[in-house]
Amino acid sequence: MIEAVGIGAFFLLCALGALLALLSPQRRNPAVLAVTGAAAAIALSIAAADALFTGQSYLADLWSLPWGGTLRLGLDRISGLFLLIAGIIHLATSIFSGGYLRRYLGHYSLRSFSVLYHSLFASIGAVLLARDALSFLLTWEMMSIASALLVMYEHRREENVRAGYLMLAMGEAGTLAVVIALLLLGNAAGSLDFHAMRASGPALGSGARWAIFLLSLFGFGVKAGLVPFNSWLPRAHPVAPANVSALLSGVILNLGIYGIVRVNVDILPASLVGAGVVALIVGAVSAFVGILYATTDNDAKGMLAHSSIENMGIIVVGLGAGFVFTAAGRPALAGMAFVAALYHLTNHSVYKALLFLGAGTVDYRAGTRDLDRLGGLIRTMPWTALYFLVGSLSIAAMYPFSGFASEWLTLQVLLRSVELTSTAVKLVYAFTGVVLALTAALAVTCFVKAFAMGFLGMCRSREAEQATEAPRSMLAPMGALAALCIVLGVIPTFVIPTLSGALASVGDGRATEALVPAFFSSSPDHSALPAAFVSDFHDLGAETGESFIPGRGLVVLHRGGPDNPVIFAMSTSYGVVVLVILLGVLAGIVLWTTRRRRVTREAHWDGGVRQLFPEMTYTATGFSNPVRVVFDAILRPRTVEDTEETVAQHFRVAIRRAREPVYLVDRLFLDVLTAQLMRGARLLARMHRGKVNAYVAYVLGALIVFLILSVMV
Amino acid sequence: MEAAATVASIPEEWSTRIDVHQDRQGRRYEVECRPDTLQDLCAWIVQTLDYSFAGLVVEQQSGEWSLRYLFHAADARSGRIDVLLRQPLSQVHFPSISGSLYAADWHEREAEDLFEIAFDGHPRLGDFILHDDAWQEGLAPMRKDFNGREPPALRAPNPNWRPDRIVHAPGVFGMPIGPVYSSTAESAHFLLETVGEDVIRVVPRFFYKYRAVEKIAEGRPAEDALLLAERFNGITAFAHGLAFAQALEAIGGIEVPQRALALRVLLAELERLRHHTGAIQEICESTALVVAASQAAILEEELLRLSGELTGHRYLYGLLACGGLSRDLDDAALRAATVRARGILQQLQALEKRLVRTSSFLDRLEQVGIVTEEEARACGVVGPIARASGLARDLRVALPYCGYGGYGFEVPKEAEGDGYARLRILCAEARQSVRIMEQALASLPAGPVRAADIRPCAGAALGWTEAPVGAAFHWLRVDSRGAVVRYRIIPPSFANWHVFHLAAEAFAFQDFPIILASFGLSVAENDR
Amino acid sequence: MTQWVLSGLAARVRTTRYPARQDQSPGVSPGFPVGRALADGDRGAVVERCPTGALTRRDRRIWVDPRRCVHCYRCARGDDALEWQQGYEWAAVATSRPAGEERTPPLSSAFARSLHVRVVDAGDCGACLHEVKQLANPYYNAHRLGFFFTPTPRHADILIVVGPGTDQMRTALEKAYTALPTPRRVIAVGACALSGSVFGPSFACSDGVRSIIPVDIEVPGGPPPPFAILHALLVATGRAQPAGWAAGTQWAARPGPAAEESGA
Repeated sequence: MIEAVGIGAFFLLCALGALLALLSPQRRNPAVLAVTGAAAAIALSIAAADALFTGQSYLADLWSLPWGGTLRLGLDRISGLFLLIAGIIHLATSIFSGGYLRRYLGHYSLRSFSVLYHSLFASIGAVLLARDALSFLLTWEMMSIASALLVMYEHRREENVRAGYLMLAMGEAGTLAVVIALLLLGNAAGSLDFHAMRASGPALGSGARWAIFLLSLFGFGVKAGLVPFNSWLPRAHPVAPANVSALLSGVILNLGIYGIVRVNVDILPASLVGAGVVALIVGAVSAFVGILYATTDNDAKGMLAHSSIENMGIIVVGLGAGFVFTAAGRPALAGMAFVAALYHLTNHSVYKALLFLGAGTVDYRAGTRDLDRLGGLIRTMPWTALYFLVGSLSIAAMYPFSGFASEWLTLQVLLRSVELTSTAVKLVYAFTGVVLALTAALAVTCFVKAFAMGFLGMCRSREAEQATEAPRSMLAPMGALAALCIVLGVIPTFVIPTLSGALASVGDGRATEALVPAFFSSSPDHSALPAAFVSDFHDLGAETGESFIPGRGLVVLHRGGPDNPVIFAMSTSYGVVVLVILLGVLAGIVLWTTRRRRVTREAHWDGGVRQLFPEMTYTATGFSNPVRVVFDAILRPRTVEDTEETVAQHFRVAIRRAREPVYLVDRLFLDVLTAQLMRGARLLARMHRGKVNAYVAYVLGALIVFLILSVMV
Repeated sequence: MEAAATVASIPEEWSTRIDVHQDRQGRRYEVECRPDTLQDLCAWIVQTLDYSFAGLVVEQQSGEWSLRYLFHAADARSGRIDVLLRQPLSQVHFPSISGSLYAADWHEREAEDLFEIAFDGHPRLGDFILHDDAWQEGLAPMRKDFNGREPPALRAPNPNWRPDRIVHAPGVFGMPIGPVYSSTAESAHFLLETVGEDVIRVVPRFFYKYRAVEKIAEGRPAEDALLLAERFNGITAFAHGLAFAQALEAIGGIEVPQRALALRVLLAELERLRHHTGAIQEICESTALVVAASQAAILEEELLRLSGELTGHRYLYGLLACGGLSRDLDDAALRAATVRARGILQQLQALEKRLVRTSSFLDRLEQVGIVTEEEARACGVVGPIARASGLARDLRVALPYCGYGGYGFEVPKEAEGDGYARLRILCAEARQSVRIMEQALASLPAGPVRAADIRPCAGAALGWTEAPVGAAFHWLRVDSRGAVVRYRIIPPSFANWHVFHLAAEAFAFQDFPIILASFGLSVAENDR
Repeated sequence: MTQWVLSGLAARVRTTRYPARQDQSPGVSPGFPVGRALADGDRGAVVERCPTGALTRRDRRIWVDPRRCVHCYRCARGDDALEWQQGYEWAAVATSRPAGEERTPPLSSAFARSLHVRVVDAGDCGACLHEVKQLANPYYNAHRLGFFFTPTPRHADILIVVGPGTDQMRTALEKAYTALPTPRRVIAVGACALSGSVFGPSFACSDGVRSIIPVDIEVPGGPPPPFAILHALLVATGRAQPAGWAAGTQWAARPGPAAEESGA
């Protein structure tokens, strides 16, 4: 009931929002958008939360098509999870937009923005609710077009328009692959309904399975920004308005993952180890390429866009591990892997939306996103700095912030490859683990750079000096997302059962038992656990808090056999308590021992120069240049300029150096593909000789070919 | 004689007057020059006659400016050429020769800064010795009417001063080093223009230690100015004191006794040996080769103690006097000292052998901090750095003094111009120094160490020595009471720092201290 | 690599026993002139030979101001030469800190075994700096006494200043001093740092670093040998007594113009 009302209200509010936007004056538009967008997001979130937490499912036939098939909407727990994330992020961005959109007043039409924004939201909801291939594809297209138009919102800038078209073009290529995959499934099922496809799945042969897997992985992978189909992403995400960037990275990338999960976990559970291996490699490479370019990018939003590729890679690694474990008949491990992936997806949505909003705030107030020109903003924008710091710590997977729990779980799951038999697969797991570890290290570098160069040190430009703090309507949503980053990191034992529950509707949801044993719960059902194990842990005081903490305790623990009762265990919840106590004690000691000392503050030591200028401090480029130098063989930037100007032979008056980054995927893949296509086109063009008899011959030839084909079929 | 013949062609070719002076210091040609031909003449002397530019001496004499461009040949027979340019005091614009003779760059900048005279055509003037963010423009401390004893009443530094930056690259920044940096480094400032990791351009800023030695010497009795010559760069005190003493002796026509000449050679080479050992120690330390650095430090301390035991002062202060030495040294002590120096040299050679076998050490030096021969020639580099870049310039050979012509020694030369070549030069020169010390000891005559008849005498002369870092020139003019009228020091570090930034560019940050150490230059000597 | 271990061991221990025992090695000290009573008929002409005004005549005695002596040895030459004394325990506690402050006490015993030193070159000729640097060599090995050089004044307890205090180093010197956490001590090393010696005062250079920052301990000499600097560090931490000067030596309260006193 709640679901039906919520979903209905959601679509109505979206429509109302679009209508009101057209009716209200430009000046009032941001406020109207904030209200209607937030209301729609709340309605959607309530429906989704109910479905996710209570397991209520909902299915509604919209209308039957004359040539067979029915358009269906439905809400199950997995959709509920994605919808809830979409709702929360939309809630934050809608409120944020109320303040942020004012920067476009008088420059671009806020009405059209509002209409597009609401249509995008509605289509996102519809994609996640669709229960048959046709409505899924229809809404998917709506979503693609709406998001591309929003990327092109600042349409007077040529790069934005190019980025939007690139995004649309690559998205359509992906959609084509998805269409084929869904048609293959529908062909086997004789219906476009997801339910029917699921029923006929087991009958498919391995060739069809491979085809469906690859098509869906790479088709949806385009939307999720997986290597090698991601070159649109770092171009499109940064140029969109910040609130749209937050949606693109926080919600729309998730839709790609949703597609992969829906097809390969729900409709046709993976049965091929090889498919999982492909996903592992694609994920690992995406993660590494993403973070490498993120670290070397000095555009605050470009860096975040590249980092989205990294995070999508980590999620796909989790999914890949799940596919392998599923195929290898290890449902509990598979559940853990899927939980890790979904956990990271949830975290990523929250902190990436937060960071994009933060970067947008900086762009708005300081007038630039170029980290080389920012600096020192912590003094003028303290709250933005604080929230951006929380986001940075989360994305850098710092304990106890949200990214830590999910990345830790992903790496732990990868280590469970010891339970597999094939050495080759184990090696792939090892490779993936190593790459993820390197990625995690680079992520720290990357976000140290982002925060330090943006907010610390001296202001490197006049704009940065004159920046002022954002209004509360922009700070509040960032604050809420920052709080969510901490909460998601501190209560993994509550998040994991929820995610595992979400998977129960689409696959095996055994992760709760495997990761959060009931042992720590308030209503102990210890019968499933060995008695010796229970008593050992009771002696350690593990049941502390049983009586007043709801849920299944505060420790994530994976049990093994009798030899190694605990394979891994972790508790950020307790960790935070200990951390707070330790820091408090330390602060107390410092304060007590220095209570009689007079504190004097002197300027920092600068080597004794008469005046330290901002141009004498590290830039973001300088900070990340070691990474650029080390990975030069991979990055291979193009030298644009390398000149020296001298007067009177020896006096240099200017040295110019400029190197332009070349995107790896473009260089290795897209440029090659484009070149080959152009060559093919040139070859085909030779057919056109402009002689009538040649064309007659072509027609004849084509006719013969079709005749032979029809005879054969 | 061929060079002399060509010098002789100067009058017709440049339609000017040429005076030939022949004295104990050797042959000297003095060429009067007009402003319009100055640049071409100087370039011609360097390019066609193959003379080296030694420096520029600006004098404010009664009623006129006198600019003296000093050149010297590479071999003993050809002597020196002084190109003279005179203009009335009201005319403060001079042609710049830096365009065709880059070695004159810093000399012109210094003269512009201290005399407030303009060198037309010089692309980069101002903010050189007197920092623009500490002093106002228009201050001319070297002019005669400036009272050097007190700070000027007005103090108005330029508030808009910004470091000179010419690198245009995305994300470029200047990494400031100093003036107070490292643990025990002399004060100097380097701004490294970079985009991280690799240094694109080095902007050195010196003269934090500017003590205005040339200004405060004016009016002092010449023998007190000798204290300044000795003490403005304590590390090579003897070499500079010697150059000053020789200038003074040349003015007075004083004949220095043979024993004093031999002792001067012996002590100068002892100082060179000690300086080079110290320079090698610095190189070892910069590469964090602790054992080698300690071993070199032991040798250096032994040489300091040896100097202290032999002469009473570890840095050979207070020995030189006009006309010889202020005291005689005991023959037995000299013999013992030379034997000990030989022993220390042997240990130094053993250390060198170990260093050459240490690949991690060589990796940091080889192909690092390169000065090409072309760069060295253009910038007017002198001393071991020039010799490591293929320019075998040595005043002991080119303009022999103290009877160096009578000693057998080699001038080592390397071609690579990198840090390793400079290290090899230092080691080779240390060997030659001990060789010269032994010869000086063997031929040490008995007799007085100081000329008997020393009277003040007006005049001007140039004194020079091959200091451990390279050619040092001291121009001295005294009045009839023996007080200094103009004292100009052209130290080797001044010439060599000029090229340093080129060597340090295109290398990574972490190579910078090593390149700095491999140059082994003194800031005090440069700043004066 | 083994060659370094072996050759390092073969170099044997060179380190001095000072301060446990006086080190009498030859060549470690340039010495100092010792003042004397003027006998009848002795006009004390030697005083006129001093170029820096370190020697003065007063009360029928020749007095020596070590702050001004630059080791020119002119008073050591000739028939009326002053006696020169070797030794190196020359560090004295400064007498004239800015208004109201008495002689500073040594640092507490907490610093006795861990004292960090930042050296600032304020226009030094290189010799004093070089002698400070020698403290790290195996002969003196200041580390064994807990003295360490640090690249930043933020970590330092002691500022060693060498050189006369050039005008262009003034800001850097002031900045380095303020960057030093308290308790802090300043050791001025060398005649230049104490009196400007042959360089100051002039338009480009002060008459010693006292006119820029407060000085706590003074080490005369041009340059003072490493042992004298070691002694200064020991005095700063209360591990050695300040210099007990021989009779006939005086520390002028503040070096005045040389002409004033030499006639007195």
